[in-house]
Amino acid sequence: MNLLDFANSIEGYLLVSSILFVLGVFAVLTRKNAIGILLGIELILNAAGINFVAFSKFHSAAMDGQMVALFIILIAAAEAAVALAIILRFYRLKQTIDADEASLLRN
Amino acid sequence: MANNSALFAQTLTDWTQGTFLAPVPLWVWAMVSALVVIYLLALPFGGIATYIERKIAADMQDRIGPNRVGPLGLFQFAADAVKMLSKEDYVPPAGDKFLFNIAPVLVVVGSCAGFVALPLGQYLVAGDVNIGVFYILAVTTLIAPGILLGSWASENKWSLLGGLRSAAQIVSYEIPVALSILPVILISGSLQVGEIVKQQGWNPDLPIAANAHFWNVVHNPFTVFAFFILFVGGLAETNRIPFDLPEAESELVSGFNTEFSGMRFGLYALGEFVDVFVMCAMLAALYLGGWQLPFLELDKFWITLPSGLIALIHVGVFLVKTLLLVFVVMWLRWTLPRLRVDQLMGLCWKGMVPLALFNVLGTAIWVWAFKGQSMIQVAMGLFSGGGSSH
Amino acid sequence: MSNGIKLILLLAEILTVGSALVVAVNPNILYSAVFLLFSFLGVAVMFLFAGADFLAATQVVVYVGGVTILILFAIMLTQWMYRLKLRDVGSKFIVPAVVLALGLVPMLHRGLTDLARMVKAAPPEKMSEFAASPKTMEIGKALLGSHVLPFEAITILLLGALVGAVWLARPKS
Repeated sequence: MNLLDFANSIEGYLLVSSILFVLGVFAVLTRKNAIGILLGIELILNAAGINFVAFSKFHSAAMDGQMVALFIILIAAAEAAVALAIILRFYRLKQTIDADEASLLRN
Repeated sequence: MANNSALFAQTLTDWTQGTFLAPVPLWVWAMVSALVVIYLLALPFGGIATYIERKIAADMQDRIGPNRVGPLGLFQFAADAVKMLSKEDYVPPAGDKFLFNIAPVLVVVGSCAGFVALPLGQYLVAGDVNIGVFYILAVTTLIAPGILLGSWASENKWSLLGGLRSAAQIVSYEIPVALSILPVILISGSLQVGEIVKQQGWNPDLPIAANAHFWNVVHNPFTVFAFFILFVGGLAETNRIPFDLPEAESELVSGFNTEFSGMRFGLYALGEFVDVFVMCAMLAALYLGGWQLPFLELDKFWITLPSGLIALIHVGVFLVKTLLLVFVVMWLRWTLPRLRVDQLMGLCWKGMVPLALFNVLGTAIWVWAFKGQSMIQVAMGLFSGGGSSH
Repeated sequence: MSNGIKLILLLAEILTVGSALVVAVNPNILYSAVFLLFSFLGVAVMFLFAGADFLAATQVVVYVGGVTILILFAIMLTQWMYRLKLRDVGSKFIVPAVVLALGLVPMLHRGLTDLARMVKAAPPEKMSEFAASPKTMEIGKALLGSHVLPFEAITILLLGALVGAVWLARPKS
């Protein structure tokens, strides 16, 4: 299959979204920095959005996929705002944003 | 994309049919027309705006201003460009070279990309995308990360403070700006800039009471306020006085561009001026009727004008409206003092956001109650008998 | 669609994936945030090519103008200015994460394409018509019609997030 046609097919879109999802999971697992973990979560949410839009275009030809993608974008914005507020709060408490340090409940 | 997504490019494609350029596809012409718009309009505007600003500043302070290079000092901007190119290419040694290089480019790309959707004339739009207004809002958001990253990469505390202020300011004022564009969208029912402008004209075929849907700024009492909020919000978005806290030279040396010299500083300055132009052009198109001449429909004039002349007049009208707004922006610079940071945020969140929300609600009620008629139409209806002409 | 336009889409996809790779592996958190911005832009172009014009602009406004700025802000407020270099990668999960990543991509892709094959697709003429039509009005109708419940839920969520973020980040008193 021609590479240009592959890019414009549902397989191409799904490949991009799979890679984005996996890289997001990778970032969440390997980062110690709380903001780095947030970056990974944003990648995962974007991968989900691409999936919905791709199925909406190449499969159903209806608006539902795009609506869900729109809601994903809005929820991601709210999630980023709250997560960063928590991170700033945590930084004020501990002077670090290392996620491994968030163990107040342990002892 | 819409059927008229690339009017200018479509014209170019039609013209070249039958010549040796015929096999060139439409999308190449779309890119060419976008580049032509940017090079023929955005870049010279950036240069000439510096000249005009210095002349206006000089006039207001009773000085002469630039008068050495060329007649009346008109080629001062070319001399400035040559000077900038010959400056030392300085990168702060402790700074971040990569971010330092890409940050000014982000600013220029963000502001120049907005040009593509501006309707210069009825058929002169590089790309009249169907999400026009939203597209302009979207691409100009690239400016904020550009400024923030440049300020960080300078490794300078004044720069960083300026950049943080700028980002906070742009993100906050985006809300009243977007909310002040909403009334226009409610009235016209379209995001396409060309369509919005077209609806603000005078149609001689309709009876007088039915067609005085004049400029959106006088459509109803709320759009008057929305126009001013959009103008003030635009000033803040483009970091102009009285909102130029990001480069407040009395506190922060030169703010986010302290460490930038030579062509990188030139790119920042160009991006700022082009951004001012895009803001004013958007204001003119959305609220002041764009290329529409008041009370005249040039297509149906009492003598038939050649279509090229009509197009030229349209471009002229649009540029005059835009440049008048640009002049007001420059005028304000020498009139108003700078706000404090807390005053700036207070004005946005306690003043402009509630007022803008009120405008949206008011316009929605107006459009619903008067079936989309403007103030002038409602008044004419009352005047010509009974008011129940529908 | 001509080959030139498809090439733009291919480049956007490469930009998306390449930037996401930098986001995942670059030890400098600031660079990760910057490349996340480029990844968002690439995704916006992909949305545009999938006939989602309104969604593409929303993606740019919300992610580039909002989320990226917030993240950059948080990074700059929580790192000491001259201690930017964050040795971040090197957690104990790194080997399992690499294995997982290498195994997960083909699995996910295979599963999703199989799913795409199994689900009954719309007729092709309807699909090409859908891809070319403007979406703003349809999104507006859907938000106030068939999708009004999630729309209202989102508004409450956003209000809650706004109040919660302000309350969490309030100054010490």
